[in-house]
Formats: sequence, C-alpha cells, structure tokens
Amino acid sequence: MLIHVVISGIATGCIYSLMALGLTLIYKATEHVNFAQGDMAMLSGFVAFTFFEWLKLPLPLVFCLTLLFSIGLGLAMEFLLVKPAIRGPHFNVFIITLGASIVLQSASGLIWSHDQFPFPSLFPDKNLVLGPVQTDAGSVGIIATTLVLMLILFLFFKYTKVGTSLRAVSQSHRAALLMGVSVRRSFALAWAISGLVSGIAAFLIAPVVFLSTQMGLVVINGFAAAIMGGWGSFPGAVIGGISLGVLENVAPYYFPPQIKGIIPFAVLVGVLVIRPTGIMGEKRQRRV
Amino acid sequence: MKMTWKRAVVGVFLFLVLFWIETSAAAEVGVTSDSVVVGCSNSFSGPLAFCGTEMVKHGIEIYFRQINEQGGINGRKLIMKSYDDAYDPTRAVANTKRLVEEDKVFCILEPQGSSPVAATLDLEKQKVPLLFPFQGLPLPGRTVFTATTSYPRDAEIVIDWLVKTKGFKRIGMIYQDDQYGSAYLDTALKKLKGTGMELAAQESVKRGALDLSAQMVKLKQADLDVLWIVLVPGPGAMVLKEAKKEGWTKTKLLATGPLTDEKFIILSAGEGEGVWGFSVWPDPVHSQKPGVVEYRNLLQKYVPGHEPNRYSIFGYFFAKLFVEGLKGTGKDVTRGKLVEALEGIKNWRNDIILPVSFSKENHAAQESGFMVEVRKNVFQPISGWQSEKDGKLVESPLGE
Amino acid sequence: MRRITAFHWSIVTAACLAMFLLSPLVLSRYLVFILNLLAIYALVSIGLNFVTGYTGQISVGHAGFLALGAYFTAIVATKAPYLPFYVILPMAGCFAGLIGFLLGIPILRLRGFYIAMATLAFGVVISQIALEWRGLTHGDEGFKVTSAFIGSFVFDSDKKLFYLVQPFAIVLILAAHNIVSTRVGRAFVAVRDSENVAQTLGINLSWSKTSAFALSAFYAGFAGGLFAYVVSHITPDSFSLTISIDFIAMIVIGGMGSILGSIIGAVILTGIQQLLGSLPEIQMLIFGVSLIIFMIFMPRGISGVISSLATATRAGKRLSSEQEAGEKGA
Repeated sequence: MLIHVVISGIATGCIYSLMALGLTLIYKATEHVNFAQGDMAMLSGFVAFTFFEWLKLPLPLVFCLTLLFSIGLGLAMEFLLVKPAIRGPHFNVFIITLGASIVLQSASGLIWSHDQFPFPSLFPDKNLVLGPVQTDAGSVGIIATTLVLMLILFLFFKYTKVGTSLRAVSQSHRAALLMGVSVRRSFALAWAISGLVSGIAAFLIAPVVFLSTQMGLVVINGFAAAIMGGWGSFPGAVIGGISLGVLENVAPYYFPPQIKGIIPFAVLVGVLVIRPTGIMGEKRQRRV
Repeated sequence: MKMTWKRAVVGVFLFLVLFWIETSAAAEVGVTSDSVVVGCSNSFSGPLAFCGTEMVKHGIEIYFRQINEQGGINGRKLIMKSYDDAYDPTRAVANTKRLVEEDKVFCILEPQGSSPVAATLDLEKQKVPLLFPFQGLPLPGRTVFTATTSYPRDAEIVIDWLVKTKGFKRIGMIYQDDQYGSAYLDTALKKLKGTGMELAAQESVKRGALDLSAQMVKLKQADLDVLWIVLVPGPGAMVLKEAKKEGWTKTKLLATGPLTDEKFIILSAGEGEGVWGFSVWPDPVHSQKPGVVEYRNLLQKYVPGHEPNRYSIFGYFFAKLFVEGLKGTGKDVTRGKLVEALEGIKNWRNDIILPVSFSKENHAAQESGFMVEVRKNVFQPISGWQSEKDGKLVESPLGE
Repeated sequence: MRRITAFHWSIVTAACLAMFLLSPLVLSRYLVFILNLLAIYALVSIGLNFVTGYTGQISVGHAGFLALGAYFTAIVATKAPYLPFYVILPMAGCFAGLIGFLLGIPILRLRGFYIAMATLAFGVVISQIALEWRGLTHGDEGFKVTSAFIGSFVFDSDKKLFYLVQPFAIVLILAAHNIVSTRVGRAFVAVRDSENVAQTLGINLSWSKTSAFALSAFYAGFAGGLFAYVVSHITPDSFSLTISIDFIAMIVIGGMGSILGSIIGAVILTGIQQLLGSLPEIQMLIFGVSLIIFMIFMPRGISGVISSLATATRAGKRLSSEQEAGEKGA
C-alpha cells in the first residue's frame, strides 16, 4: 500500500514540478523570478472553464484555444510588466510579478467569483493496475506529461540554436547584442513559452486541486521544488518536485500529526543550508 | 537628510489634521428616526471570499432590500455596512472597532470565521450585540447569539445516530488540523468514552493539503464501518476521489454539517453517490418548503440567474431572525431591548428549519440537523430532524 | 520675506508631537487602535529595511519574527505575571533577534533569491508551529494576552495602550536613525551596493549581513510583543505569508533604504486597507496594481520621490541665487 502513496506523491510532486519548470524557464532565459507563474495557470484554467462551461465547446478545441491564450498571456505580461523594468535590479521584477499575482487573483475573482469549480481531466477516469502497483490514469497522465515537458525543455535549451541564444542572453545582454541576438525578442519568447507551460499546467493541476482563484498558490511549492532539485535546471525542477511530493506523502506515515506539516519546509531550509545549489544545481559564477 | 525630516514633520501634521477632521464628522448611535445601521467584518477576499460575499451581498442585503421597499421596520430603513478582513483576525478586529466606534452600528450581524470572531469577542464588554456569526463554536456572552448548529452539537448528534441508531462499531475520522477538526475529534472521543468505545482510527490533514493518499491508506487498513470527514469542500472531495481510487467498498462516508454542501458533491464529480451528511438546511435548490421557496423567489427577483446556495440562505435566514427580534422592540429601539426581544422568541415558525426558540439561558438558534444521503448528486433526507434531549437522540418530522 | 529658520521648524515639530501625544483624548478608540497598529507595522517595516533596503537581502518571512515576539510575550506574560512589560518586550525582541541571528548564519551566505525562499520557508514553519504546538500557543483557538501593567495601573484599553506603544516606537525609530547614520549603517549600505568593494574596504561581510538580519529580527520581535498587547488575542492566522508580503509592500511603496520610507509605507498600506475597506472587491486589485506601478515608475518609493524633489529644489534654489548674483555682478 505504501507504493500507492508514493505514486500519488509522485503525481502531486509533478504538479509542483510543472510550476518549477515554468519558473526555471524564465530564470534561465531572463534571470528573473516570476511569482505570478501559478496565477497565469489559474487564469488559463478559468479561460478554459469559460470555453467549455459557458460556450460548451468540446475539450480538444478548448485545449488548443486555451494554449493560444496562455501564450498571449505570457507575451502580454512580458510587455507590460518586464519590459518597463528591464534595466532595473532583478528584485524589482520580482515585486512586479508579486503585484501581478495579486491583480490576477482579484480580477479573476471579480469575473468568475472566488468559488471552487470542478475541472475536467484530459485523461479517462479509470483505475490502472501495472504489475504490483495500483494507480489511476490521471496520475500516470500527469507524470508522463511532466516528464515529456521536462525533456523537451531540457533538449531545447541545451541543444537548439534558439535555446542556446536564450541562455546567452541571460548571461550577458551586451555579449548577446554583439552576436546579433535581440534581447527583447528573447525575453518575449521566453515568456511566451512560459505562458504555454502554465497553460498546460492548468489542465493537469485544476482537475486535482479544483479550479479557484487560490489555485495559483501552488507556485510556492514550485519554488521549493526548484530549489530542492537545483535552481536553474529542468531535470532538477522535476526531481525536486517529485521529492517534495513524495516527502509530503510519506511523512504522515512516520511522523506524528503535529510535525508532518512542517517537514517539507524544514527539509527545504535544510537543503538550502547544506547544499544550496540543490540536487542538480548548476554553479554560476558571480559577477563582481 | 534634514530636509526630508522637515517634510516628514509637515506630512505628519497634515495626517493628524485629517484624523481630527474625520473624528468630528462622526454620526449618531446606530438608530435614528428613519434607519437602523448594522454591520460586520467578513471575508470578501481570500479563501472564504465566496461564503462571505454570498451571505452578505446575496443574503442579508437582499432581505433588507425587500424590507426597505415595504417601508422598513416601524418606519426605519435597514442599512448594512460591511468591511473585508480576508480572514485576518487583526483586520477583523480593526474593522469591528471601526463599525462600533466610527459607523456606530446598532449591532454586529453575521461576521465569519472562528479566528476573526474570537478576536472581536470583547465587544461583550461594550454591550454591542453580536448576532449569528458564521462559525461553529459555542460562544458565551449575554449579548451573543449563535446561528447554525455548533460543531460539538453536530458531533454529539452524529455519534448518537451512528452508534445507537445505526449500530456501528468501528468509527474513523479524518479531520482538519485546526479548531474545526479538533472540535469534532474531542467531542466524538468524549461521547464515545461514555459508552466505553473509542475511535477506531483518526488521521489529521493540513489546511490546504493537496494529497491525502497517506491518510486514506492508513484509514483503509483500519477496516472501518464509517469514515467521518471533518474537512472543507476541497479536501473533502479529494477524500471521495481517493476512496474511489483505492477501491473502498465497505466503509460508509459521512460529512459534517459544514461539509454537507452541494459544492462538495459537485467537486467530487460523481463520486458522491451514497455519501452521508448532516444537513442543517433543507436543499436550497430543490426544497419545496414555503420558507425556502420564498428565499429562492427573492433571490431571483434581485439577483436573477444566481444559484441558491447554503451561504446566501444563511445570510437571508438570520437577517430575517434579526428583524424578528427588531420587531419585538417596538418603536423605541435599544440594544438591551433587542436582546430581551430575541430571548423572548419562542417557537418562531419559519418553514425552513425547526422553529426557533431563545431564552435567557439558550442563545443558540439551532441545535439540530437531519441526516442525508447523496442520491443522483443531490442530498436526499434519510431521517427527520435530530436533536439531543437529556443526552438522548430525539427525532422530529421534517415537514417537507 | 522672513526666512523660515530652524527655530520655526522646532516649534512646528513640538506642536505636532504634542498633538500626536494628546490625540487619544480626541480620537475614537478605533483610530487610536489604528495608530497603535501603524506604530507596530512601522517598526517591522524599519526592521525589514535593515535587511532589504540597507543590506540588499530579501526576507519574505518577517511575519515569522513578528509571531515569535508576539507568542513569546503572550507566554511569558502568562507564566511570569510578575514581570512588567518593559522587561518582557526587550526580552521578546532579543529572543527574535537571537533566532534571526541563528537563522542568518547559514542562510546569508546564499544568494539573494535563495534567502528569499529560505525566509519564506521560515515564516511558514513558524506559523505552522504556532498552529500545531497547541499546548504552548493554544493553536487557532487563540491566546488571550494578559494586559500590561505598571504597579496597579493596567493598560486595558486602546487609549491607554497608546501611551505604551508610541513611546517605545519613538525610541526605537530614533535608535534606528542613529544606527544607519553610524559606521554600522554605512557598512550595511556598502554591503548592499557591492559586496566585493565592501570587503576591500575592510568590512566583515558575514558579520555585517548577519547583524543586520538579527537587528531586523529584533525590531520585528519587539513589534510582535507590542502587537500581542494591542490585539490582546493572537492566533496563527495573524502571521501568514500574506502579512509578510504586506511588509514587503510597505518598504517598496515607502522606499527602501530609508527609515522615513518605512513609516510612509506602513501608513499608506494601512490607509489603503482602511479607506478601501468598504469596496472589498477592488481593494486587492488596487493594492496589486499599486505595487506594479510603484516598482515600474517609482522603484525608490515615495521617500525616493521626496528626496529627489528636495535635491531638485535645492539645486533650483542654488541655480536661481547664482543667476541673481550673476545678474547683479554683470
């Protein structure tokens, strides 16, 4: 039975990983931290909800339309929020995304109310038995999609020309410009992809945690996941997320109820103290 | 740096002037010849924003609107003032002080949340009546009146029903790790001890948890007759989904009063069949009881197309109960007379819940509930109104 | 035209101070309560500024130190009722400061963003402990705080508490002003602007950073003790992540690296909350939009704007007097 708990933890962990992937993406390409990653997913989720609940469109169409919206949302946010503050310290953008997070939540509340809504899953509602393991199609779907997404992002950034240029831009704007790479276009591209990731995340997360204006709070777990696994690494984001999910699930088994709530965060502090770069983190040289 | 300090001094000066101006514009006590002002601090943002908005905007305010359109009570219009506290007790305290001292409200009507309300209980000292807060703990106080069945009372009734009426032996509980959860846990343990029994298993869940598979796996191993779910709708629905995933067949699932809400069933997307609940309201959407129909009609009149729900009916009902007390004070309205008028209410027929009676010793509007079972995604009654009399379970007809 | 001398300014300052100290006599209990809260928030804000504004590290968990100070005060006031508040409060501050120091040692050698995450985790852990350790903190049932007293005089009303809170606030604010004007404060700024340069100047980096962090924790803890007395019933919900974010908003809006900025930020944030309270739906929206607008257009906050204006006016005056002199001479 423990296996079931672990698998469930892996699936929950993948939810955190999805957030972490988006965060890592923005960071790798722009060195900024996007506090609004979760709320972008939340808004995409509500837009999807509007498409199929109010307009009664079929799910596959809803999926495509929503992803188009998510990409647009990413671009809009980069244009409105990041571009004006591009020259300032990174802290400024972090606070701006904090403000954006609050705005997205309250605006969504005004449009759709703060109620909770069920969200249809992309995967069939069936129990699966794989050998000794009993799980369900939904969990397998989340895990598989997360792994595929991670692989795509990893390969994109490491091996493609566009991905490499994005990394170059984040290391040094000047050098990139000298090489003929447009910083603005790179940033816009990064945010567009991040928007896409948040849109996909919405379809995987909302069925499990239910759609509401509070859904974006998972981004905090996403931060923890990214740090545990190694900030700035896509495989790290996923490893961190899965570790966090499994840890949260297994803790109630061995620890008394009073402590189990703080285990994940305590472990996070521990990781930061002992090995700040995380499990897979990259060592970056600091600029003087 | 010195220049900035000078500017600071000017700023503080202007600021204080503003404060002084604000003070001198303060109004009369909450009752004038043509109005009665009441108010509350509630959640209009944050996790409980939906409940707060429903109970105040689509509950109290629609009822007051109807009363005002009919000329008010003894010629006085009813005005409702509310402020957002986002479930933060500090803001609840600030808002409540503002209502009492700046807006000079006549009484506090329907604030929300055990935490925020507990922090404002010193209103008692100032003799401001606190009426019908949306929370589940019994509250002491000469000028405090509580609303729906309290958590401990809910727990007592349900334990009696499970043990005596249903004959269950192995009872388990999955509960939220806060006052809501511990109220049920402690009462259940106490009551069971009285009959020499214990809980067969208990697991706690953190507020906002996303995954309860660990707790559910352990509970399944306990081979329970019934699992009592003391959670809020989100995690509650997760319990149902998880039970389906793990293949729970034998164990009955039972929801507490606050959880017995249509939202919980909707969120579980079809896994709710056969789930039991303890309902303190008749079905706000389907019930044909005259009082409920009246509520629905009013909701449709002022907020057409809006779904009836247990929060707005709460807001509506207790606004109505407040007005009942207000009527009893006659032309000369004072806080003391309101408390007396409320205490004088006996067997108030309302065609929604059991008749309401207050007394000097009893300030709880409701101490009963009826058992329901989910059939075809709707809560259907499976018992009459249950209440406790001298430690024994007593049933009254539902009167649908 | 007579010049406005320093003497005139002292009169105005004295008048303001007198008005401020006498205000409980005219204002309602609600407004006095708000003034008390403002003083507390200003202290936390100033503390946060030591870490963020002056030393350049981000702390997203300062509500945790507020909680430590508040619960420490509540618990000690109950267990040792003979101790007067002027002993308990500094103890609460030192307790929080000690925790801050211990937390700072491992954390502060990380980069800015990691510190933000670690402090966020810290804040969450503290509020979770406050919720779970029911035996000590009464969990979410709440802890009723025994009122402060001097001899037989009990501070059991908002107006009386005013005279407990404000003097401490004024003293701590002046102390903060002194700290940043001394070598210690300048060391903080040096660390923020460039750690490598600071080291070449002979500043001990880790000592500077850790002591700034401990100092900010002390301020937040002391403020927490005041908070416990003022609110008189504390629950874990008062120390959530949202509150930590509110504090960050205060220093952003008011201006980082400035004591005056901290106070302005606290005033504005609390002001927005109270003024917009009756339009709850758009209150949060306006808050979020303000944060964005401030960071884009006024990243140095309001105090930044004020000092820019001051510099401009001074430059303008010098320019015009130079012009005058030039014309006369010509």
